[in-house]
Amino acid sequence: MKRLFRIDYLPRVEGEVGITAEIQDGEVTVRAAVFEAPRFFESFLKGRHYSDVADFTARICGICPVAYQMSAVHAVERIFSVEVEEQVRQLRRLLYCGEWIESHSLHIYLLQGPDFYGTENAWSKKEYLPIAKKGLSFKKLGNRILTIIGGRPVHPVSVKVGGFSKLPEKKVLSSALPDLQKAYEESLEEIERAARLSFGENQMDVECVSLRDPREYPMNYGNVASNKGIDTSMSGFLDVVREHQVGHSTALHSEMRKDGLWSPYLVGPISRVNLNDEKLPAEIRARMKECGISLPITNIRMGIVARSIELSYAFHEAARIIREYEAPSVSCADFKPRAGEAVWITEAPRGALVHRYELDDSGYVKNCTLIPPTSQNLGQMERGLRDFIRSHLDKPVDFLRKESEKIVRSYDPCISCSVHFVVREENKTEKPPHGVR
Amino acid sequence: MKRPRIGIFKFTSCDGCQLSVLNLEEELLDLVGLFQVAFFREATDRPLRGHLDIALVEGSISTGWQRSHVVEVRERTRYLVTIGACATSGGLQALRNWTSIEDYKKSVYPSPGMIETLPCSTPISDHVYVDYELWGCPVGSDELSETLASFLLDKRPGIPGYSLCMECKRKGTPCLLIAGSAPCLGPVTRAGCGVLCPSLERPCYGCFGPREGANIDALLNVFRKKGLSPHECSLLLDKMNTYSYRKARSREGRL
Repeated sequence: MKRLFRIDYLPRVEGEVGITAEIQDGEVTVRAAVFEAPRFFESFLKGRHYSDVADFTARICGICPVAYQMSAVHAVERIFSVEVEEQVRQLRRLLYCGEWIESHSLHIYLLQGPDFYGTENAWSKKEYLPIAKKGLSFKKLGNRILTIIGGRPVHPVSVKVGGFSKLPEKKVLSSALPDLQKAYEESLEEIERAARLSFGENQMDVECVSLRDPREYPMNYGNVASNKGIDTSMSGFLDVVREHQVGHSTALHSEMRKDGLWSPYLVGPISRVNLNDEKLPAEIRARMKECGISLPITNIRMGIVARSIELSYAFHEAARIIREYEAPSVSCADFKPRAGEAVWITEAPRGALVHRYELDDSGYVKNCTLIPPTSQNLGQMERGLRDFIRSHLDKPVDFLRKESEKIVRSYDPCISCSVHFVVREENKTEKPPHGVR
Repeated sequence: MKRPRIGIFKFTSCDGCQLSVLNLEEELLDLVGLFQVAFFREATDRPLRGHLDIALVEGSISTGWQRSHVVEVRERTRYLVTIGACATSGGLQALRNWTSIEDYKKSVYPSPGMIETLPCSTPISDHVYVDYELWGCPVGSDELSETLASFLLDKRPGIPGYSLCMECKRKGTPCLLIAGSAPCLGPVTRAGCGVLCPSLERPCYGCFGPREGANIDALLNVFRKKGLSPHECSLLLDKMNTYSYRKARSREGRL
C-alpha cells in the first residue's frame, strides 16, 4: 500500500519550504522542497567593491544579517592581512551576542515554542502568553544591543572591513547592563523550563560540526571540528565538504566526506553545545546538570534546549564584554586592498556560515561562494524525517504529518538564506504552492 | 467594533521586513489585540481565507507564481501596503535586471536548466495597484506603526517624502558630503531612517530609495568632481533600490 503526505507550505519557519513524504512497502522517501525564489547573490557580487560585500550579503537574511557581515569582513580582512584590535574583536563578539539573543528568542518563543504547548501561534493561547511575553522581552534586549552598536536591529550599518564606522560609548553600552543581568538570571530558569518539555524519541547518529576555539565559546574564530574526528582549518573545511544539486529538490545540499563516502552532517546550536560545553560558564553548566541535561544532545527536538543554553550564554557574555570594554585607539584599522582569496567561517545563530572570496588587486570581487547553515543541514533534515517516519509506520498519516512539521521546525531552517536555493521544476505551472486557498 | 483583518505576505525577500513587524515586540501583542491577524505564515499556522482589510506585502516579484499570487492578494484586499525596498522597489535582487539572467543562473547552479525564475525582479506596483508604499531596507518600525495606527484612525499616514538631508540638518548631524567629502546619497534619498548612517559617521547608501523629485545627476556631478569615476558613481546607486534610482534618473531624461 502506498501512502503519501505533503506539507505544502510550512508555517512558523523563515522562508518558504514544503515537505513530501512517500511511504511504500516500508520504504520511505522524504523530500524537502524549497520554493523560495533564487536571488543570485553570488552572481551580482561579482564586480562589486569589497566594501559592499558585508552590506550585500547581510540582505540574504533579515534574521541573521550580522552573521553575514561577520563572515564577510573577516574573509576580506584575511585577504588584506588586517589585524583588528582586541577591543574591536570583543565589540564584534558583543554584536554577535545581540544577534544570537534576537534570533534564538525568536525561534524558542515564537516559532518552535508553540509546538510544545499545542498552540498554532505565540498569542492565541492564554497559558502561553506569559512565556511569549518573556521571549519578546529577551528579543527586545538583543535588538537593543544590535541598535546600540549598529544603529538598527535588521541590517545594522556600522560594521566595515577594518572595524567599525563609529564606536559606541561605554556609557551607552553600560546602560544595558542591569537588563542583561536580569535577563541572564531569568534565562537560567528558562533552561530548566526547556529541559522539562517532552521531546519524544528522535535519536540521531549524526556528525556534529562546529567551530572550536581554545579561547572561548566559538563565534568569529576557531578551527572546524566534529564529534567524529574532524579538526581542520576554515579553508580545509571546503576540502571535506561538497555542495551538490539534488534531483528532486530545490536546494544545493552539502555533504561531508568520510572514509570515501559522502554523508549529511549537522551544524547549529546542538553541535556547538556538544563540542564546546567546557567553554560555557560554570554557573550555566551547573544548571544544565541540575536539569538533567546530558551531553551530547542527540535528539533534534532538543534544539530548543541547546538554544536556551546559548541564549543564557549570550546574555552572560554580553554583560562580560560590556563590563570589560575599553574603547580601542581607532575605530577602523588602516589597510591597503590587494588581490587574494580567503575562506572564513563564523557561527551564525543557525550554525557555521561559510564565505569564500576572491578579490582582484583593487579589491573588486572576482568570485565568491556562500554556504549558509541551512543548506548544510538539509541533508540531515531529510534523513532524520525518513528515520522518524520509518519507525512510526503504524501511525496515521495525520500524526506523521504533524510530527514531521515539528521535526523540521526543530532544525530552525532559514530558507531565506536562499543564495543557493532553486525552484523545483514542478512549480513551473503558475499554481499557488498551496496553503493559499 | 469588529477588528479589521490583517494579512502579512512574503514574496522574494530576506524576511527582514516581516521581522520588523515582529520587532514591534510588546507593541506586537497590542497589534494582535487591535487587528485580527488573518494571515502571517512566519508566525502562525492559519491558512488564508476570506477577505482582508489590510495587507502588508514584503518582497519583490521574481517568479511566475508570484505574479499571479499577488493579483489574488490584491483581489482579496481593501488596502494593500508594500513594506520595504524589495516590495516597493524590486530590492537588491533587481540587479539582475541589468544583465543576462542565463549567465546568472550558470554562475550559481550546476544545472541551470532546473531553475525557474523571471528575468527581472520588480516592485509590487508594477503588477497591481498599491495603496501605500513604505520604503526602507528594512522598513522602519516607526513608519510601520504609524501606518497601522493611521489605518485604524482612517487617516493618511504622515510619512515624509523629503530628503534625508532635512532630517540630518534638523538633528544637527555634521554633513558628510560637505565636511567629510564622502559620497553620501542623502540629498537624493528619502528621509525615514532617523539619520542612521550619518550619525554613525557613514555616508548614506540609499536604503530608503529616491525622494520625490530627486536630482540624481546633479549629485553625481558633485561626486565626479570629488574624483569618483562614472562606474563608481553608478555602483553607489545600484544597491537595494537600484530599480527606483535608475527609474528616477531616466525620468530626468539623462539615461
